[in-house]
Amino acid sequence: MIARISALGNVGVRWLTRFGALASFLFLTVGAWASLPRAGRRVVRRVFLNQVWFTAIQAIPLIAMLSGILSFIVISQAVRELGQIGATELLGTLIVVAIVRELGPLLTALTVAGRSGTAIAAELATNRVMGEIDALEGMGIDPVHYLVLPRFLGAICSVFGLIILFDIVAVLAGLGAAVANGMTAARYFDIVLASITFRDVWLSGAKGMVFGIVIGTVPAFHGLRAGKAATQVPVAAGQAVVVSIVGIFVLAAVFVALS
Amino acid sequence: MTDAPLVFRDVPLNDGGAATVTLEVPAHRAVSVVGGENSGIALLGRMALGFITPTSGHLTVLGTELATLSRRDLLAYRRRVGYLPAGNGLLQNLTLRQNVALPLRFGSDLSEREIESRLNIMLAAAGLAAVGHLRPTQASEEQQRRAAMARALAFDPKLVILEEPFIGLTDRAARNVLETARGGDSGEGSHRTVFAVGSNVPALVSRRFELRYRLIRGVLQQED
Repeated sequence: MIARISALGNVGVRWLTRFGALASFLFLTVGAWASLPRAGRRVVRRVFLNQVWFTAIQAIPLIAMLSGILSFIVISQAVRELGQIGATELLGTLIVVAIVRELGPLLTALTVAGRSGTAIAAELATNRVMGEIDALEGMGIDPVHYLVLPRFLGAICSVFGLIILFDIVAVLAGLGAAVANGMTAARYFDIVLASITFRDVWLSGAKGMVFGIVIGTVPAFHGLRAGKAATQVPVAAGQAVVVSIVGIFVLAAVFVALS
Repeated sequence: MTDAPLVFRDVPLNDGGAATVTLEVPAHRAVSVVGGENSGIALLGRMALGFITPTSGHLTVLGTELATLSRRDLLAYRRRVGYLPAGNGLLQNLTLRQNVALPLRFGSDLSEREIESRLNIMLAAAGLAAVGHLRPTQASEEQQRRAAMARALAFDPKLVILEEPFIGLTDRAARNVLETARGGDSGEGSHRTVFAVGSNVPALVSRRFELRYRLIRGVLQQED
């Protein structure tokens, strides 16, 4: 019995230690901006733009497609079902609360975590395996400055921008679904605009920032912690995506509880 | 007190190991230390760069006790030292030219135009002018080593630390790497102080080192 409690305690300590290391890494990354050499800023800017290109620009078709299909399905069903009970006004609540405020940020973050989070972790783990981290250190370049900071900022901006895209496409696809099911465009926009508040927009944006921080931190943390064997690359990528997804879901629940 | 740019005094090569190393690398000299793969010899180079802090003894580089430096000062110190890591350490997602440019772009206030101009000279001197656009995996081992060396010498350091610098190279290429690191001869010896550690130094190249050491059963012995 004592052995079991002890084993449970060990697992708890391990999790807390890992969480503490992750939090410390996040503070280190945020603080890196202040210690970034002036000359290094143009290099970091270049890496940042590259990250935004891979994470945001290249993901636009995927996010637009997911958002469009999801919104079309949900709104088509809602118009039919709510129309039968004369409650089409609830359509606005559905698209604003369910899609713009909850599903938009969540699905966007999960997509970016799966697509770019794994890429970041695998890339940094490969940097470690190939001795590139040591080489950077040897040149007097802090790997957090060169590798982590631009990816961190890139992930935040990308998730934020993609959530806005998701919401816009969702509203437009919802319009298509509503019109296809006999509702006029003017009526659809009346309902949606009556339901949306500044708080919904603010919450959606705040989620984008927070989920972006998770995706910018967790994969970089696992990538840099990888060992020097090539087999560590997929391990780091796997751990990064799992922890990111869990983190995103937990934080989504925290947002719901607090809002 | 000594003027030697690199001084190891009673530095252990293994955690808790009894064998310690005492070695001075004099200015304007090329010094090689050779030992077996598991002898801990590679740690000397890593200690000299501040990657590892010796558990006991003293290590002084360019007049600085590395153990006393903050993280920021340690990074600044490394910009004053040339470092050729084992396996070259070239970033795979950059071209050879971008690799050589990286320390200049990150650690100097030179304008982009000045950097490009300096890069052209450095790549021409390293014989890489025609292949600067290649990624490391597209270049030969020798070209990669030359690019890594050009990168190490970007700030014309006084001290160069080489880890396994000759593995995978022909004798001629190995000699070129060493001569590039030395930076030519001056009245006092070589232009730069060179400290090379590794498991092997080709015979043809070995003669170009003024001081040669071999680690045998934990004891550093000078070779003739």
